[in-house]
Amino acid sequence: MKTVKGLRILLISVAAAVSLLVVGYIQEPIRAAGQDEKALRPSAPSGGEPGAESYAKHCAICHGEQREGILPAFPPLLGINHRMTDDKIADLVHAGKGRMPGFPSLQDGELSALLHFVTSAEPASLITGSGTKGEENSGIAEGGAAVFQQNCAFCHGRDAMGGETGPDLTQSKLVREDRTGEKITQVIREGRPANKMPGFNLANPEISGIIAFIREREAAANAHPGGRRGVAVADLQTGNVQAGKQYFDGIGGCVKCHSPSGDLAGVATRFEGLELEERMLYPEGAESTVSVKLPSGQTISGLLAYRDEFTVALRDGKGIYRSWPIARVRFTVDSPVDAHVRLFNKYSDDDIHNLMAYLQTLR
Amino acid sequence: MKLLKDSLHYLVAAFGLCIPFAPSLNAQDLENGQLLNPSPDSWPLYHGDYSGRRHVRLTQITPQNVGSLTLAWAFQTNQTPQIKSSPLLVDGVLYFTVPDNVWAVDARSGHLIWHYNRPSKGEHIGHRGVAMYKGWLYFTTPDAHLISLDAKDGRFRWDKLIADASRGYWSTMAPLVVKNHVIAGVGGDLDNLPGYLRAFDPDSGATQWQWDVTPPAGTPNAATGGMTWMTGTYDPELNLLYWGTGNPTPVLNGTVRPGDNAYTCSIVAINPDDGKLAWGFSVSPHDTHDWDAVETPVLVDGEFHGQPHKMLMQTSRNGYFFVLDRTNGKNLLTVPYGPVNWTLGIDKQGRPIPNPAKEPAPDGRLVAPDEGGLTNYRAPSFDPKTGLFIVDAHPSYSLYFAKPADGAYGWAGADYGLWGKGVIEAIDYQTGKIRWSHDVGAGGSGAGVMTTDSGLTITGDAYGNLLALDTNNGRALWHAGTGSPMQSSPISYELDGRQYIITSSGGVLFAWALPEGIIAAKRSATERH
Repeated sequence: MKTVKGLRILLISVAAAVSLLVVGYIQEPIRAAGQDEKALRPSAPSGGEPGAESYAKHCAICHGEQREGILPAFPPLLGINHRMTDDKIADLVHAGKGRMPGFPSLQDGELSALLHFVTSAEPASLITGSGTKGEENSGIAEGGAAVFQQNCAFCHGRDAMGGETGPDLTQSKLVREDRTGEKITQVIREGRPANKMPGFNLANPEISGIIAFIREREAAANAHPGGRRGVAVADLQTGNVQAGKQYFDGIGGCVKCHSPSGDLAGVATRFEGLELEERMLYPEGAESTVSVKLPSGQTISGLLAYRDEFTVALRDGKGIYRSWPIARVRFTVDSPVDAHVRLFNKYSDDDIHNLMAYLQTLR
Repeated sequence: MKLLKDSLHYLVAAFGLCIPFAPSLNAQDLENGQLLNPSPDSWPLYHGDYSGRRHVRLTQITPQNVGSLTLAWAFQTNQTPQIKSSPLLVDGVLYFTVPDNVWAVDARSGHLIWHYNRPSKGEHIGHRGVAMYKGWLYFTTPDAHLISLDAKDGRFRWDKLIADASRGYWSTMAPLVVKNHVIAGVGGDLDNLPGYLRAFDPDSGATQWQWDVTPPAGTPNAATGGMTWMTGTYDPELNLLYWGTGNPTPVLNGTVRPGDNAYTCSIVAINPDDGKLAWGFSVSPHDTHDWDAVETPVLVDGEFHGQPHKMLMQTSRNGYFFVLDRTNGKNLLTVPYGPVNWTLGIDKQGRPIPNPAKEPAPDGRLVAPDEGGLTNYRAPSFDPKTGLFIVDAHPSYSLYFAKPADGAYGWAGADYGLWGKGVIEAIDYQTGKIRWSHDVGAGGSGAGVMTTDSGLTITGDAYGNLLALDTNNGRALWHAGTGSPMQSSPISYELDGRQYIITSSGGVLFAWALPEGIIAAKRSATERH
């Protein structure tokens, strides 16, 4: 179980760093609508409060210094009290979920301080619109934009035009036909458990604001219908399970590291659709280990925390970060994830679709 | 070896950059002569000169002493947007930008002279810098206006429309001044809009001509797009402007725009006086991957396989390195410079033949490179001594999707990068062979490249290190962590006998130089000889 967990849990710091770098690199060509970076880079919270300190230490690297999240990879926690009770949050903190690691050692005073901090009201600096394509929100939709960014944008995209897991709301039949907002309100309140959408305990004005924001995005999308589209789970069902299993067991060499009854048991219940396929092809942020031999002859091993051509760093078994100038030490890095890179120029598109079909049977 | 030497003489002689150390004019006044032959104490054009080689003839900083390179000053914009612009340097003043903002900074000390801000709607994706002519600056905006400012104090002079931002256009590019033309382009591929290039009168701002990349929107079976969002180059002898054009639209759905979609994803040669097309070369015929061919069309005079040629070279976003004869657009060399899996080969004209099986599909296609391409807008550099074309490459893989429900408007599909890394590659321009490569990290660096006559290659890595490499072999000679990867291309100049290298990262501009003591020692050693 430990190895399964070890493989599954991402080295969050590296993941965050890499994803930020990747975002930094690709933001230019991507030109996605709705990228108002200003709205997502608030100043750091003021220190002193114990909950804030605990948050900064354990949570901020993924969920953002101001709980704003790092979309699309890490959800915002602002307004989490609208969708989860304190008990549920505490369970989540202890057990982890998906790629989020558990923090079982967080107990008692620190836990309640953290819960208090996480569920407290948002800083005023974050009340801001999404600013897609420079259009300005006004009035009720502006307030709704902030609520939407906190509660809905992780799945539905900052511009409501669909994210990694939630559909494009500007194209939604329900949104289009529900002119009174009654049905939208019901979905927000009750969620859609079958589709894994949680219910949200929001006040009426907040829900009205969200609806106004969605309507505004709907109008904007109709005026500028050229944005990026998404990928549905149904789109990724063209492969052949048997051929995929053959590839997995044979030429793909997947079995060298993975096992359908071990680390990949139930993988299709944890991920689906595009997310599953992306992780299958390259599990972003997968951890590497490094072994560093110091001039004294001592060898220190741990998780690779940083490496450029001048510096290497690790986190040792106690979680302590240590770094060395590369010229002063000898080191070896073990990056199992590199096997994924070596497959890129070998796959046919059929191989990918077949593998995907096979992985989807691992429930 | 003799061949190489001869070709180098030719190189130096032909391009007219060989008037050394001519004193520049004073009082923020930039004339055509200075644009044609930039003095070492200036950087008056986006690429430093009209050739786009981003190679400087300065030799104070060398492979031997670069280890002593140190920070001369840093300038904080105190703004969130990253600096993606190349500064201009004219008469001791640096001018650079982020969207909506222009700064004038003293190139000796890094202190602020003036700051111009014009909030706007429109796409704020980045900004590449200003152009200058006589005492005036020219600045494009997210809402696709061309603004002229007084270089002395940033005072507003006039505001002209390049394109209608409400239709989905924007502008990020540094205009190019050629003779009495200010040439500006547009961006905007989230809508089916035709791209164009427009020339403005530097004094009145009146439109002089417009060259349209594609037929008008709505023409049956024709593409729109071909945005002109990067600064081109110019050959004064041939009087031709060279420009790269962007991808066709709809972006990922090619079914409604059969054929080559000329002149999108192309390199074009245009007469700067009347905007007439001299020739065009399709770099990515029928592109369906967003691979704008806007990377610098670098102009080099020299030998190609024993024959003297006026060449144009481009490391294109689609993964291929092209050498063209720039007098007529005929192809001399087409060769990939990293992993590329989307072609069936090269046609007789030297153009890649797209593989229909790698067009975006409902269940996805694995494509190399990714949408960001094997390189992007940051400049490469051509080093005449070694004959190396040095580029920040981005080997990468991605998934491309498109289905009928995605329609035929704007993006019309979706794509997702899977993996990529950064490699500085030194390409032998006669063969396309990679002479050396230097890894710059996971994800990719995004830094531009500049070379110097002393044999240095200045660039950056994915982790925020500024790097000085040995141009001969790619070895790192010096580095400094700057906190965030460079998203611009380095420049260099010499003021008061001191050579500066200007780089940026995040919202900070850095000036690097040798310590005064080393320069003084070097100077007295030279005087003694």
